[in-house]
Amino acid sequence: MTNWLRQHRYALGAALLHLRRSPGGFLFNILVVAIALALPFAGVTLLDNVRPMSEQLSVDPEVSVFLRQDTPREQAQALASSLRQAVKDKQAKIIFTPREKALDQLRDKNGLADVLTTLGENPLPDSYVIKIDAFRNAQAGGDVDQLAEQIRTLPGVESVQVDSAWVKRLAALINVLRLALLILAATLGTVVVAVIFNTIRLQVLTQREEILVCKLIGATDNFIHRPFFYTGALLGLCAGGVALGAVALALHPLNQAIAEFAKLYASEFQLTPLPPLAMAGLLALSAGLGLLGAMLSVQRHLSRMN
Amino acid sequence: MIEFRNVSKQYSTDTYALHDVSFTVAKGELVFLAGPSGVGKSTLLKMIAAMERPSSGQVLINGADISRIRPAAIPSLRRNLGLIFQQQRLLTDRSILANVMLPLLVAGASHKEAETRARAALDKLGLAERADAQPLSLSGGEQQRVSIARAIVNRPQLILADEPTANLDRVSANRVLDALKAFNSVGVTCIISSHDEQMLDAAARVIHLNQGQLEVAA
Repeated sequence: MTNWLRQHRYALGAALLHLRRSPGGFLFNILVVAIALALPFAGVTLLDNVRPMSEQLSVDPEVSVFLRQDTPREQAQALASSLRQAVKDKQAKIIFTPREKALDQLRDKNGLADVLTTLGENPLPDSYVIKIDAFRNAQAGGDVDQLAEQIRTLPGVESVQVDSAWVKRLAALINVLRLALLILAATLGTVVVAVIFNTIRLQVLTQREEILVCKLIGATDNFIHRPFFYTGALLGLCAGGVALGAVALALHPLNQAIAEFAKLYASEFQLTPLPPLAMAGLLALSAGLGLLGAMLSVQRHLSRMN
Repeated sequence: MIEFRNVSKQYSTDTYALHDVSFTVAKGELVFLAGPSGVGKSTLLKMIAAMERPSSGQVLINGADISRIRPAAIPSLRRNLGLIFQQQRLLTDRSILANVMLPLLVAGASHKEAETRARAALDKLGLAERADAQPLSLSGGEQQRVSIARAIVNRPQLILADEPTANLDRVSANRVLDALKAFNSVGVTCIISSHDEQMLDAAARVIHLNQGQLEVAA
């Protein structure tokens, strides 16, 4: 175990020594890899911020049932049992809102009190709101459309408003974005591996004599390969750190613009940096890509030396 | 300790580097390989270090046939050899101390232990004062003594030296030869290839090669 640790410490030291000898080249490589990583990292940050919002929307869709103005209160209240039958096995919450309460709620909203006084009579109908817990995906969305059709035929029902359509659209959009991000990440991940592959190739060439001497004095392949693996992993790790830092810095001006936009929708939506665990995951992924590039390069170029 | 049994090395149908070579070297012997350039001296040494494989025949070290050695076992074999080359092959990006420490670090020694033993090896070769110098600041003779220090620092049983005095003046060549003889006197087997007549005249045993074949095993 001590020997194993010693060998790794030596390899890390050798990698750092070589990086210290050409800091300009190393920094340039970090910059190139960081640029490639920054874009998918920004995408991940965006999705991470949007996901809770979309989940909230898809979990709590509402089917609003508006009754005819002339529907007697008894008939309106009796409709609850028909609605309960219609939703059947779906877990649902059915809330009745009498027209008086609806008017009160409307009155409480800023700027509408004056408008309502000019109307005189209450223009709002009695209504039901059905919140279906099972509505979690497109299939369930289709079920809700069927349910709406069924409710529309019930006596006393004037109109049914299903908000699943735009929720489905948002969910589909997020899926498209997620897929696009995955493709982008795979493409740029390949770029990262290629850059590090080439960096290590050049390092193998410049250290050719050292590698040959090490082989002649009895170094194992692992002993020779390890410093290159550390170089690749360090390059990926540093580039990942720079990319995350750049994304975090970019959030500040972006949030200022978003705040202006969100204010128009009475929202306080802001982009926040990724949680520490996710950041650690991305750093590990960056180091892993670096290691992969180094392994491929070492395998290809050192086997030729044998 | 070392036995060549009908060893041949053929590079093409009519070109032999070695042809049906057989000889033995006992433990603790000092043997010179002699012959003009291109007769197969280096090839023979490379076979002992598993840098080349024979086309036919066997190369035995302590009874083990290394002509069929697995690639994974080669590092272990080389850690028990001390290799010295005509071109010293010192790493010019580090001090001579770091060069001499390298075989020990490769073998898994701690940095502290490697430094202590490397300084001791340099001291034996009269280079203790130059430990922190860069290889390129040394003379050819000094560089060759550094390469000897690197070869002996792991306390090998066998030293293989390929034309170690070829590019040196007489004084430096004698110092290098004296160093190798000193290690031989404490039981280290040495095989040295050379075409230096003065050196060969003083040798106890010389294996002459001519066009890949053994001439005399004295």
